[in-house]
Amino acid sequence: MSTQHLPEHPDFLWRNPEPKSSYDAVIVGGGGHGLATAYFLAKNHGMTNIAVLEKGWLAGGNMARNTTIIRSNYLWDESAAIYEHALKLWEILPEELEYDFLFSQRGVMNLAHTLGDVRESIRRVGANKLNGVDAEWLDPQQVKELCPILNIRDNIRYPVMGATYQPRAGIAKHDHVAWAFARKCDEMGVDIIQNCEVTGFLKDGERVVGVKTSRGTINTEKVGLCAAGHSSVLAEMAGFQLPIQSHPLQALVSELHEPVHPTVVMSNHVHVYVSQAHKGELVMGAGVDSYNGYGQRGSFHVIEQQMAAAVELFPIFARAHVLRTWGGIVDTTLDASPIVGLTPVENMFVNCGWGTGGFKGTPAAGMTFAHTVATGAPHKLNQPFSLERFETGALIDEHGAAAVAH
Amino acid sequence: MLLIPCPNCGPRDETEFHYGGQAHVPYPENPNELTDTEWSRYLFYRENPKGIFVERWVHSTGCRQWFNMLRDTVSYDIQAVYPMGVPRPAAPLPPAADTGTASTGAASTTPLSPSTAPEGATK
Amino acid sequence: MAETAASPTSAKNPADKNLAARLSPARQLAEAFQAGSLAGTVELSELPFLTMVGVRADAGSEAATRLAAVTGGLPAGSGAVAGNGDVSVLWLGPSEFLVVAPTEAHESLGGDLIPALRDALGGDAGQVVDLSANRTTFELTGPRARAVLEKGCSLDLHPRVFKAGTAFSTEIANIPAVLWKTGGETFRVFPRASFAEFLGRWLLDAMREYASPEVP
Repeated sequence: MSTQHLPEHPDFLWRNPEPKSSYDAVIVGGGGHGLATAYFLAKNHGMTNIAVLEKGWLAGGNMARNTTIIRSNYLWDESAAIYEHALKLWEILPEELEYDFLFSQRGVMNLAHTLGDVRESIRRVGANKLNGVDAEWLDPQQVKELCPILNIRDNIRYPVMGATYQPRAGIAKHDHVAWAFARKCDEMGVDIIQNCEVTGFLKDGERVVGVKTSRGTINTEKVGLCAAGHSSVLAEMAGFQLPIQSHPLQALVSELHEPVHPTVVMSNHVHVYVSQAHKGELVMGAGVDSYNGYGQRGSFHVIEQQMAAAVELFPIFARAHVLRTWGGIVDTTLDASPIVGLTPVENMFVNCGWGTGGFKGTPAAGMTFAHTVATGAPHKLNQPFSLERFETGALIDEHGAAAVAH
Repeated sequence: MLLIPCPNCGPRDETEFHYGGQAHVPYPENPNELTDTEWSRYLFYRENPKGIFVERWVHSTGCRQWFNMLRDTVSYDIQAVYPMGVPRPAAPLPPAADTGTASTGAASTTPLSPSTAPEGATK
Repeated sequence: MAETAASPTSAKNPADKNLAARLSPARQLAEAFQAGSLAGTVELSELPFLTMVGVRADAGSEAATRLAAVTGGLPAGSGAVAGNGDVSVLWLGPSEFLVVAPTEAHESLGGDLIPALRDALGGDAGQVVDLSANRTTFELTGPRARAVLEKGCSLDLHPRVFKAGTAFSTEIANIPAVLWKTGGETFRVFPRASFAEFLGRWLLDAMREYASPEVP
């Protein structure tokens, strides 16, 4: 458990400029992915005459609502490559951004509760190692040693039969990550424009040439969509469709506690994932609600089941009080993998479909998507995550390695 | 939490139901004649509106029957339920006053109380 | 207990032996049910081995008419229970019904209910399936029975809505179950056999608070 103090909050980290009439590129969505994309556009591609448009306040969507888990233990080569690249970036970004956003590599455990889980998990450990991702298989006793508050007795409905463990994985302060990117973007001349909702796109034939917003029309040569939850809405404005369904995903925190939980524990099978944040609150996430929803709220029975699962795994939580619950809107795809690449509209690019796992991918999404926007072609890391894969059939099925079913 | 007006059983908790995604998606008449693009549209692409959505639900632990429902994906207001095989109602009703319970639309055959035998409960 | 369900003195013919060999899904809870029951407050027991038959037939069809003649009617909609004498028919869906009858109505004990239903359906579209081993029956009775059920059932169980003589397929304690109100303060709950122990223990837990004096 970190005993570090949180960084002092400065007076301001970025300007609040009026939108200009024209930019070289416009990024729609001022969350983690949008800001990271702008950062890498400026840093790697020298594009600084760009704007990030945010309809609400900066990082107030899923960037404010996630459970801050960072890991790269995905099954398939394509996923391991992009998530592991993200993890490597997470390791150097505090220095590069000159901002300690408290990336804590306290490890992440994915519990196995059935023989099927055990087989799948051991397979994933092997696949991870082949891809250079740190991964271990732990037996229940080793699980207990790493996380003493876990109940490993065999008299519960889904006993712990072992776990995969990624030591380099962990958590970070999500707000601070956004602020770190925003400050650097601002320093390099990127305009971060809040309260600026995109209401339509200007097209010249099949090419996008501008963005209509609640604060006027902005001409631009390139548009990058980074608006998780609302990707389908923007695509429809632009005249194309995405294989995305938007679902509510919920999380909750307890009140503050003394340090009791030293790592991150996830369980795909019983649908709960838990860590203890730097301040001391227990942070828990659940699975998505089954139905489509844009309401940023979900159904209470999902929270109830998540709590039941958490209390069974961690009996010590039985007396912890829920402080608040909330929901975000996640883009889900049929293969539980993101879409990062070109769209049917020329000069318009999309980064979406990260499901329940977008936060951990933030740096790699930003880096690869910036490459795609700047050069008009995908980076080799995001090439497999194209929209065309739904036509070619080259799907990247990560339902097993995704945090929870979606 | 949704309170879903089952056409056969009346309003029941969402936990008694399973979601079936977008309604009125016909299986292609001649799948072998479709291009990859067309087939991908059938397999992977569904509407994802922010607003009124037409969707299928099944009352799994009740009457075990499928039905269609018009629901607002932002307010979660249920505007109509209607049987499988019936076309989507032409125009959704204006959102009902927020009473905290699900509303039913004109196309609905929903009874208001589970203790009254609904019209249409027997085929 | 299963062993006591049939009187030892009556095991004279093969049918009685058949019953004596059966084990009810919640037999291991019989003593706990007794210990957890409080006469005059809330009591829980298992009624093992009721005869249950799944019947499917389109309402209004000729087969439905013939089946109704055997059972004493088919219920018309959600909540309704039809029947005649000790044979009851619960509505499960628009063309799906659950016939519930005493143990001895089962054909293995010489009863003729199931053959009669099978004959009534004949070759028509529909189903007559012996489901006697699919579910068991719990009887929960007493002034607190409703309060116990309300802890895990989202239906409105208030007597002005849920009348004696109605039954619903619903969820109790997050599992699917049929709930039949047979009297003013008496309920029958039908969990599937594999859920019987879970629901039995859940009901016992829900009953516990009523076994001690009320805190003023």
